[in-house]
Amino acid sequence: MKDFDAVVIGGGLLGCFAARNLRRWNLHIALLEAREDICTGISRANTAIVYPGYDHKPGTLKAEMCLRANAGFAALCRELDVDFHRCGSLMVSFGENADMVLQKKYENGLIMGVPGLRLLSGQEAREIEPVLAQGISSALYAPGTGTVNPWKLGIAACENAAANGAEIFLNTRVQGISRTSEGYRIEACGEAFSCRAVVNCAGLFSDRIQELLFPAAVRIAPNAADYLVLDRAAGVRPSHIIQYEPEDGGKGFNAVPTAEGSLLLGPSERENEADFAVSTEGLSFVCEGARRVLPGLDLMQTIRSFAAVRPNPRGKDGRSIGSFVIEHPGPGFWSFIGIKTPGLTCAEELGAYAAERIAAELHAEHNPDFDPLRPGIPCVRNLPLPERAALVRENPDFGEVICRCEDVTKAEVLEAIRRGAVSVDGVKRRVGTGMGRCQGSRCTRAILELLSGELNVPVASVRKDGPGSEILEGAHE
Amino acid sequence: MNKTDLLIIGAGAAGISAACAAWDAGCRSIVLTDRLDSPGGILRQCVHEGFGLAEFGAELTGPAYADRLSERLSCTGVLFLPGREVLALTKEKTAVLSGSGGIEQVGFKRLILASGCREKTIGSLPVAGPRPAGIFTAGQAQEMINLCHWDLGSNIVILGSGDLGMILARRFTLEGKRVVSLVEQNKRYGGMARNYRRCIEAYQIPIRYRRTIRELHGMPRLTGVTVENLESGEREKLPCDTLVTAIGLIPERELIRGLEKEEWLSLAGNCKKVHDLADSAAAEGAALGRQIGEQLAKGNTA
Repeated sequence: MKDFDAVVIGGGLLGCFAARNLRRWNLHIALLEAREDICTGISRANTAIVYPGYDHKPGTLKAEMCLRANAGFAALCRELDVDFHRCGSLMVSFGENADMVLQKKYENGLIMGVPGLRLLSGQEAREIEPVLAQGISSALYAPGTGTVNPWKLGIAACENAAANGAEIFLNTRVQGISRTSEGYRIEACGEAFSCRAVVNCAGLFSDRIQELLFPAAVRIAPNAADYLVLDRAAGVRPSHIIQYEPEDGGKGFNAVPTAEGSLLLGPSERENEADFAVSTEGLSFVCEGARRVLPGLDLMQTIRSFAAVRPNPRGKDGRSIGSFVIEHPGPGFWSFIGIKTPGLTCAEELGAYAAERIAAELHAEHNPDFDPLRPGIPCVRNLPLPERAALVRENPDFGEVICRCEDVTKAEVLEAIRRGAVSVDGVKRRVGTGMGRCQGSRCTRAILELLSGELNVPVASVRKDGPGSEILEGAHE
Repeated sequence: MNKTDLLIIGAGAAGISAACAAWDAGCRSIVLTDRLDSPGGILRQCVHEGFGLAEFGAELTGPAYADRLSERLSCTGVLFLPGREVLALTKEKTAVLSGSGGIEQVGFKRLILASGCREKTIGSLPVAGPRPAGIFTAGQAQEMINLCHWDLGSNIVILGSGDLGMILARRFTLEGKRVVSLVEQNKRYGGMARNYRRCIEAYQIPIRYRRTIRELHGMPRLTGVTVENLESGEREKLPCDTLVTAIGLIPERELIRGLEKEEWLSLAGNCKKVHDLADSAAAEGAALGRQIGEQLAKGNTA
């Protein structure tokens, strides 16, 4: 039996930030992740937007958290050494109905105190974003909106939690939870963990995790969403995040110039689907939105399409719940069920929320040794040439480019593996290999060889992402 | 900073031929650079025959053809810098090279870009379904099979029937794998008749014409693809564990973005236009190398 003060279930964005924040207190922390790597569930695919907070009802937890989180996001990313682009956003409309929606959001944002909000005419919007379509009737400009790579952020938080002493258990799927005199006993893959507090961050499975011991008041209805990624060379490229509010009140659309330089388009939305499978209709929907708002986009520059899954919380009456669902069914037991947009924005806030409440329940002291700083993997692509040359002199592997599209070197790939990547996609999530225009067709061989060598496994057992995803059938060594 | 009269980026058929021709034309300051450790480029993974007919009067394999070209290169005074990735080119006529030996800058008077091409991937197509393991581009498959001796899978569907797709179909068959079908959007195969005869007809490999792939199946590994008949709209599921895409080549010109109009810049081989034969890429490189070599040689004596 392994003994902890608090156990975090689920190594997605929320779990990683919960573990990080729990270590701000003198608590012995474990994070249990069912899969072989962290940030491989819901966190692996989303719109990558850090929202400014004008969308939520003033006074609600979501509204307060989003506003606070946005204000502190640059500082958070500096601590965790993750790229954050505060590029601002323009939400655009093409008619009176949507103008009204924007007006309401603007007024709501003013009440909330969202900094810098401006309601622009179509012409004013095109002056600051010339690639926008003609015929835009109004635009809501929010300078605080930004974009961050969700996996890189989650992985950074997890590394920081681990560096501060949280213990990370991978391949550890929780199967049972029971009450003990001290707190809880968690059964996971033949291991038992005892603890006084639990943070349930199990994403799509969070309702079922809670039901292992308590009734769940809400159920998760997964929704799938489709996205397109355009090459960074795609010609027309907005410099702001563009959001589209349709005149008919239907589902909007985003174009996000990502921190990596590509352009992310989406999402479409489909109900009750949880399998990360792309739908053709969804892709067409995204393309139509793109053509409407950014007519100069060259959709032939698409390099990837993918699907995301969101945990949509529904009450007993079956109705979708708009707010964050945070349950506290027993002492020391906190459940995050159905944390969707703006979950990425609020990950640190939600983690701190759980940590503060658990610390109070367990009467924990502050941890004076907590170090919020996490050094990232050096990214040569962003370095001025002399600094890059200095790195190569220090370590020749920084001179060897593995991923040509994204300019990622052997040293970066090896460091990703040393920090926990066990698969080709695990390397991708840490250093961005294979995210560019050739989609890994030119670097997968080298990455397979590096994974095989570093992990000391045959190349044929190296996986794309998780069990059963071996890239090769065999190898004649 | 190192300086050279002529810098050639890419030591494939076009780049080597350009370097040799420029040398023969009298240019005595030539640097040829490549990301790989030895010259030959993609030829090294093309173990099939059909190279060098125009130039050497024999049907050579890719590696044998590369060896012949390399021998010719070693008889010149061209400085070959292997194992270097070109990070950037500047308007000031310098190239920034990165290798395990360090970051170097090479100044030049003229530049020949011979960087070949890259492949279109499945990501560029509106294909539904999950994104499982078991999907490769044709060039990637060729590299893994021929250079690494890796097994990719047992039941293979190939999207596209260009030369690369047909040659790979034969290669898989020779490896004892089953090529379930080639899938071709046009009414006729895409590559040369010679490859159709030798690779497809000779091994009786099925091709489905006027069809494309609409959906992938299987997770975490591919278990099949849905193929749509572009005329009737009829759909058919083909079970397979591996999909190879041979859907087109894109000239690799990212390095010269914004520099296209510089008069010191010339392109040769597949980065200029995709050639059917390596021999014609080589011929194009040689012609360009000769012309630029002569100009540079004259300029230096004048």
